[in-house]
Amino acid sequence: MESLQFTQGIVNAILLSGTLTLVAIGFSIVWGILNIINLAHGAFLMVGAYITYWLFTLYGVDPFLSLPISMAIMFLVGYAVQRYLINLVIRAPLLVTFLLTFAMEIVIINLATFFWKGDLRSVTPDYAGLGFTLGNVQIPYVRLAAFIISLILTGLLHVFMTYTKTGNAIRATGMDIDAARLQGVRIPQTYALTYALGTALAAGAGTLISISFPIDPTMGGAYTLRAFVICVLGGLGSIPGVMLGALLFSFIEVFSGIWFPSLKDAIALLVLVLVLIVRPSGIAGKAFYH
Amino acid sequence: MSDKEKKKAPIRYSPLDGLFKGRQGVLLGLFALFALFLAIFPLLPFASGFWLNTLTLILLLAAMAIGWNFIGGYTGYAAFGNVAFFGIGAYGTGLSMIRLGLGFFPSLMIGAVAAMVFAILIGLPILRLKGHYFAIATVAIATAMGEIADSWTSFTGGAAGITLPFFSPIEWSGQFFYYMAFLLAMGGLLLTWFILNRKMGYSWVAIREDEDAANMMGINTTWAKVMAFALSALMAGLAGGIYAYWKTFVLAEEVFKIEYTLQMILAAVLGGTGTIFGPFIGAFIYYILITLLVFFLPVGQLHATILGVIIILVMVFTPKGLMDFLSGKKKLSVNALLENIRTYRV
Amino acid sequence: MSKRLLILLALLLIAAMALAACGGGKATQAPAQEKPAAEQKTEQAAPSGGGEECKVVFGAAVSLTGKYAKEGEYVKNGYELYVEEINKAGGIPVGDKKCKVELKIYDDESNADRSAQLVEKLITEDKVTFLLGPYGSGNTFATTAIAEKYKVPMVEANGAATKIFNRGFKYSFAVLSPAPNYLRGIIDMALDKDPNLKTVAIVIENGAFALEVAQGAKDYAEEKGLEVVYFDKYAKAAKDVSSLITAMKSKNPDIVLGAGHLQDTILVMKQSKDLGLSPKVFGFSVGPTSPEFRKALGKDADYVVGAAQWTPELKYQSDDIFGTPQHFTELYKAKYGEIPPYQAAESAAALIAYQKAIEAAGSLDKDKVRDALAALDYDSFYGKLKFNEQGMNVYKPMAVMQNYTDGNLYTVWPKEAAVKEFLYPFVPWDQR
Repeated sequence: MESLQFTQGIVNAILLSGTLTLVAIGFSIVWGILNIINLAHGAFLMVGAYITYWLFTLYGVDPFLSLPISMAIMFLVGYAVQRYLINLVIRAPLLVTFLLTFAMEIVIINLATFFWKGDLRSVTPDYAGLGFTLGNVQIPYVRLAAFIISLILTGLLHVFMTYTKTGNAIRATGMDIDAARLQGVRIPQTYALTYALGTALAAGAGTLISISFPIDPTMGGAYTLRAFVICVLGGLGSIPGVMLGALLFSFIEVFSGIWFPSLKDAIALLVLVLVLIVRPSGIAGKAFYH
Repeated sequence: MSDKEKKKAPIRYSPLDGLFKGRQGVLLGLFALFALFLAIFPLLPFASGFWLNTLTLILLLAAMAIGWNFIGGYTGYAAFGNVAFFGIGAYGTGLSMIRLGLGFFPSLMIGAVAAMVFAILIGLPILRLKGHYFAIATVAIATAMGEIADSWTSFTGGAAGITLPFFSPIEWSGQFFYYMAFLLAMGGLLLTWFILNRKMGYSWVAIREDEDAANMMGINTTWAKVMAFALSALMAGLAGGIYAYWKTFVLAEEVFKIEYTLQMILAAVLGGTGTIFGPFIGAFIYYILITLLVFFLPVGQLHATILGVIIILVMVFTPKGLMDFLSGKKKLSVNALLENIRTYRV
Repeated sequence: MSKRLLILLALLLIAAMALAACGGGKATQAPAQEKPAAEQKTEQAAPSGGGEECKVVFGAAVSLTGKYAKEGEYVKNGYELYVEEINKAGGIPVGDKKCKVELKIYDDESNADRSAQLVEKLITEDKVTFLLGPYGSGNTFATTAIAEKYKVPMVEANGAATKIFNRGFKYSFAVLSPAPNYLRGIIDMALDKDPNLKTVAIVIENGAFALEVAQGAKDYAEEKGLEVVYFDKYAKAAKDVSSLITAMKSKNPDIVLGAGHLQDTILVMKQSKDLGLSPKVFGFSVGPTSPEFRKALGKDADYVVGAAQWTPELKYQSDDIFGTPQHFTELYKAKYGEIPPYQAAESAAALIAYQKAIEAAGSLDKDKVRDALAALDYDSFYGKLKFNEQGMNVYKPMAVMQNYTDGNLYTVWPKEAAVKEFLYPFVPWDQR
């Protein structure tokens, strides 16, 4: 393999890992605290991307500025969904929540296709596609910015979980729900808050993705699957674990893309199965958030 | 109250519980009537090609749902990748016909055996996984298999797929494939009934209720789980082989699509997992619902939304499926519908 | 208590019967369906029953939802525009009278299974006279098999893969140029402009249609003395092709050709800009000629060329209902408010092929019309309509359109139809 391909591949993988961390971290929180595999995660991500798209197209809002807006909107949506729907059956067997979130995904994608059509759309601010060259490696500004913003958001989440009362309540609920209840944590609200955090992070990832990649209503499914693989690779529960998982996954994805371009996810998925078989708790598994 | 009830009767779906006594006999009789109707359906005057086509699809779905029920319903492992067996059955059958020049029936056997062997090979390692991990491992394997079939051009024909000869005489192909699907679904029901009468059936239910306890009681849980997985692969593999010859082509993106997995799970869940007739009846309910939405209601492009809402309602109100109500285990009432929420909410 | 199951089973039975009756009720002659078509056609092809009612019903399953919803809409528009116009003119002449045209369209949800099921419904339940095609090679492949089974002709306009026609079917015809021809026009045009071009890179969507396009382009490029330095495929519905772009960039090709569809073409362009891939010519099989392409890429669409089955600027003259591409464009614009994409034109052309075959056969008999289709040789507003023995229209050339810097699309090839000069070379990203 030529060296340009190799170095460019490394840069691509590192830049990709930022956004993927953001995608996976919301998924990981919901899974870790609520014990739900949120199959609608990618659908929320897609809605976040569309919010950015519409704000940009209709009102000319800069896509990076729409980040807090799309996150705030999806935070509220996520809160309501958990509080008034998922909370109803949250302790039911796995199949129930699995199918429930899956049905939510179907509904969201179908409504999005109905209202926004299935077209591929792109957010194209003037600076889209611009970049600088380092040696002969191309670094697009937007991907670099997305990478940095992802890291900042991840850091903020860490601070929130560690140093705020609410964050501690969420972690306590994940560790021991009964003890948390005894400590006066209001479980339904905490659950809703956790889920809302997850959807807001998904929406934020969607916003960042919409600047670098074309979007369409079915874009989310691939990200849900990636989030899952990353959580397994990194182990459920810790923020550094997710970051490590995302980095690992990005390298697998980028380089399997170079060597076997017609296989999209097969390599990453087979790695996932191998990891599961060898180390079912993930590479750096811990049970709750730090 | 409902909680206590649950604890008292851990095995809710004792398979043959009074099946031949009293009103259960009526049920069986009714089912026999329905089966008879299906058996003579192609001879009826209104059995057009379209209806044969539609019923063939339903019966294939029913067969797959019955197969899924072995692993997902009785054994309690949330298998989300059964379409892999459907695809392997389709490719095994198609490739045997094209590359080896075999007839349809031997090819079908090769496809089904290939699906079973594959299930055993992957089942041994991944059936050690639990819960979500098992579920996603099956999704991952199914997706990866689809992609490999799609790009391994020299063996599978890649994205161009493989083209099979037509069934001959072509005028009777509708009837032929209908009866193939019908026999497969009926065979699946018989197989379910047969196994549930054996130790294997009780092992499955024991594993679902408490795998560790089952192990301690001396049940060879690995063997039982792998058998459940392999038999569900057998059903899906046979359905895939029939489908391939029926459609006269095999294409990875068609035979490995995750929708098939979802359809079989939905059929099983709608009818009732862990019951003999649940998946079969569920397949009919599911498909008739879909057909009604597509052809007879003016909802046009929103039918996926309606389907999704139906799933949500079922999951919230009656996730055990309709069999509980139909077989009289529970009375249909507001209270019964809310029971699920009372049990599982926070 | 088991009454409930009893009720359910009874309901299922009733529902099944009712559904069946509902389909069958319309036509008491239903049992005839499984019999050879010879018996059916007598009851259908009855335009001779006096001077009153005579109609031709065309049936099609088209993708109105799902991944091909957009293209499916164009197809439907094309069919409907023809039907509206021909009915204004009194209908299709059959023998010495005119038959009104009716259209029956179902949504196949971009799903081949559903497509086949619906075509079977169109034939056996709705009793349509003739079939039109769906959108896309996959769905067309599935539906032609059903048409063949019931011996009902199907003229399709949106399935270009040759594998559809390699099965020896007698009842399937395609009005569009087959896939391997797609990129020839672009190669010809590029070499015409600059004979010094040496190398080609080809990226391919992993799908039946695109693979054939790519193989055709590769063979043709090598025949013309070009060196193919890169030839690889990416997964269908890929969301990231940066690995391939990087690989291509390291080969520094003169021409980059993409075989795929609209969505992945947009993706290739977007990431080429990100990664600074700037060949002298950027050409694609499907995508650049669609208004969606410009909408998604904005100014980055400039200079990109795309193959077109048909363009509004071609200089065909015909005595069909539309006459010229320009007149078709006016009518389409008046009805749908946009410039017609070629999918609409070829779909309308499928109906023109039927009309001419029906006129030649002087009857609505399925086999006679099939024979007339096989013998058809007609110059339409869409170009030549003529089928080889497999049923493919290999006689019509492909055009090339370019996204001009003024934001419009112009026909730049073939030369005699070009309205603007081919803008060459592609201006590198860093010089814009």
